[in-house]
Amino acid sequence: MTDMKHTDMEEINIATDVLVLGGGLTGIKAASEIAGSGYKVILVEKDAELGGRKGPGTLVGLKEESKGLQDLEDKIKTDSNVEILTQASLVSAAGVTGDFTARLLKGAEVIEQNVGAIVVATEFATGALNEKYGLSLADNVLTQSRMDELLASESDKEKFANKTVAFLVSLGQEGNPLVLERGLRSVLALQEIDGCDAYIYAGDLKVASNGLERMYKESREKGAVYFKLTEKPEIVENGKTISFFDSVARRNIEISPDFIVVEEEMCANHLNEELAEILRINVGPSGFLQSDNVHFFPVRSNREGIFVAGSTREISSLPSAWTDVENIAIEVKDLLGDGKKIVAKNKAVVNEDKCVICLTCYRCCPHGAIYWGDKKAIISPVACQGCGICASECPMDAIQVGGFEDEDMTEKVKSGVVSGNGTPRLLAFCCQNSAFEAGEMADMFKMPLPEGLRMIKVPCAGKIDLDYILNAFVAGADGILVMACHPGNCKSENGNTFAQWRVNDAYRMMEEVGLEKDRLCFVGTASNMGSGFSSIVVDMEKRINELGLSPLK
Amino acid sequence: MSTKNKKVMVVGGGIAGLTAAWELSRFNIDVELIEKTPFLGGYAIQYCCKATDECRQCGACTVEAMLKNVVNEPKIKVHLATDVEKINNSGRFSVDLKKSSYQPVSATEGVIRGYSKNNSPLHVIVDKEKCEENPDAVPEGAVELDTMGFSGKLDVDAVILASGFQPFDAEQKGTYGYKKFPNVVTGMDLERIIRENATVVRPSDGKAAQKIAFIQCVGSRDENLGNLWCSQVCCPYALRMAETIKHKNADAEISIFYMDIQNVGKNYAEFYEKCKTDFRFVRNIPVDVFPMENDSLSMRYMNEEDGLCINEEFDLLVLSVGIMPGPDNNDLSGIFDVGLNEDGFFAGIDKLNSTSTLKGGIFLAGTVAGPKDIAASMAHAGQAASEVIKHLGVS
Repeated sequence: MTDMKHTDMEEINIATDVLVLGGGLTGIKAASEIAGSGYKVILVEKDAELGGRKGPGTLVGLKEESKGLQDLEDKIKTDSNVEILTQASLVSAAGVTGDFTARLLKGAEVIEQNVGAIVVATEFATGALNEKYGLSLADNVLTQSRMDELLASESDKEKFANKTVAFLVSLGQEGNPLVLERGLRSVLALQEIDGCDAYIYAGDLKVASNGLERMYKESREKGAVYFKLTEKPEIVENGKTISFFDSVARRNIEISPDFIVVEEEMCANHLNEELAEILRINVGPSGFLQSDNVHFFPVRSNREGIFVAGSTREISSLPSAWTDVENIAIEVKDLLGDGKKIVAKNKAVVNEDKCVICLTCYRCCPHGAIYWGDKKAIISPVACQGCGICASECPMDAIQVGGFEDEDMTEKVKSGVVSGNGTPRLLAFCCQNSAFEAGEMADMFKMPLPEGLRMIKVPCAGKIDLDYILNAFVAGADGILVMACHPGNCKSENGNTFAQWRVNDAYRMMEEVGLEKDRLCFVGTASNMGSGFSSIVVDMEKRINELGLSPLK
Repeated sequence: MSTKNKKVMVVGGGIAGLTAAWELSRFNIDVELIEKTPFLGGYAIQYCCKATDECRQCGACTVEAMLKNVVNEPKIKVHLATDVEKINNSGRFSVDLKKSSYQPVSATEGVIRGYSKNNSPLHVIVDKEKCEENPDAVPEGAVELDTMGFSGKLDVDAVILASGFQPFDAEQKGTYGYKKFPNVVTGMDLERIIRENATVVRPSDGKAAQKIAFIQCVGSRDENLGNLWCSQVCCPYALRMAETIKHKNADAEISIFYMDIQNVGKNYAEFYEKCKTDFRFVRNIPVDVFPMENDSLSMRYMNEEDGLCINEEFDLLVLSVGIMPGPDNNDLSGIFDVGLNEDGFFAGIDKLNSTSTLKGGIFLAGTVAGPKDIAASMAHAGQAASEVIKHLGVS
């Protein structure tokens, strides 16, 4: 709050149309919700039909809801706020939130759209895992998808009467609740058929989803037999027999099933990586979009105005995709409002006289908030998150961040080096999102803190210049702590990495002038760990006491 | 329609209630946030950071950030130590509030403290007599619990129920000796121990624990108790805390007793591989725990290799207690006329919309509607806020 005191505000106009990429159910729902808030939506689908990719597993357990889903799909086609582009794909996206220029390719035609926000809603892909079990697909070896198809047909169902069906789950992959639910639903459906017996060979049963434990219990009560294994059973002659050693019964258990149903893997859409490159958003684990960063959950990306929904970001059931969509709906509404936005003028300002358009800032900005004009780089006040990485990386010192201007920071460094009655003078550069909060907590909770410790707040560890560290040593600091968020927890993705690099640079320089490396420490801290902060700074004081006071003072 | 004069009551100041309140306030909606205890933050504010040399995505720090948002937001009016007594629906909802009957579970001292520096008040006097005995120990700004709480009426346009869960009471599983043996703790206790000390210490002697066992599914997936659900958070918190302990003390020997390990986070496959090299996993839930000398614990379980029973000694035993329906769910169900599901959590309108209820204008957020981790609770609260905004016709 207090950082806003220097801030002058201005009103700017932003585009309020929204681009939704992916015409599956999640994309349709996103388009419907955003259009419902009064924004025009361009819904882009690469296939010829919307909702055509109701991939296996998408509608698991949603029989009752499927009518509503069809209605939603029908309604979107007549919604005057929604423009549907099928057989189309995104080829480029320039600009920043509030003013993206998206170029879409539909056949040979290039369509340009000016949009304020972009939603990515790709579906997950599935793949057969029979090879992991050494099986070939055959009349008796079915994928889970094939099983779903057969059970959906009254006549095909009958072929399971008086048969034995074996399921293989969570042994060819770690699996997830959606994979288990598909298997459990098939088991329950088979139990309705006369004389059909089900055996389930499973690794970890992924029951961490509402209702699954009950389904598991119901299937057992109806006679399904579960073999919980830690490794794959032995399967011979493409599924003729399955056997394993039962450690409780102390004997081999062998079964000759009529059918084997093999689990499928669910993985990220192959389009994700390409979209991430076009949109300049980060890819997370296993090809899902959105890096694995708690500050972005559920639907944000590293770029303001670009959101990810459902299976774009992790394997999602439709209910969780719906949750994502509602979150996107309010994010979009908050971001775009009525097309007029009040923004801080001095969030990050480029000095035209100093800027040589070297593009360092464009490349290092984790939020994709910087573009350039004729005379200088331009930082979008809507997209900018105020981390200050650009200001510290700029070789011309052409960028100033509101509330953290160079002059002020230099002064703070100087005045921060204070003697604590002969105890070490310690300066801690603290990210305001983590270490600064933890430091305040330690102080408030009266946890041990060195007398000569002062904290200097920075918007992100990425704003800690090499100069700050060197100046602090020159001013007589005996020890310096650079306190960042843990790797993977930086709101600006890699501000902590930049800080670590600068600390490494400082180490090299300290070595040259003969200053002990132990006087400088880079460490990760969490905002809620006052105790952690306390133990780090107390340890630091101990170390400095062993070294003695700075030879520079 | 204008957002002016729209007011929403959020019941529960845990992570779901905080998030819902904050999301609504972004749209200029007035929020009355009701919390029965004297502190905002619920259970999630008590959790420790579980980072090793990198963030493990537990989300505990995001709770701290959300609490800070809420206490600095003038559109959100907080009523601590307050309960909902009655509600009438005649177009708007007319709500009767009363001072809550909250009593701290264990007030060994006269003053209790909030878990966050953003709690206001930070210190609450729960036992005046004890405080009078030693007035110097009473921190400045401490407020008497008796003076807290709001009794009166409110008119609101919608309600979000975010009253949360309760951790399973481990004393119900008597053979584990929780509260009898000092070094048997719950996952909740361990969260608080690490939060307070930045490391794991044995309650009996304050020394570092070397040999630690986690027992999973305590209270969850338990047919005898009739708890037929997976709590969805215990494998993640246990494995993450175990990694934190291992990171601080590479020599710690950690065993995980489990039925089925559930996925942890977006990068699960890689994380689990690391866990498998760091810990011993035993697919067996032990039943009996015996006290040993030095307050260590002996546990009997079946060895999968040879099918025989073995006894093994541990310094510290962690019971991974699960998420149970909130203690007030029955009362709240009566007051708000919204039904519970067969497990005792609140029931949403359908699978795709688990935040709306059959009662127009009343919505659900977070674990009140079933087990969720921090991220899922926040997402659910965002969804609830979105549904409320649609319901109110706010644009």
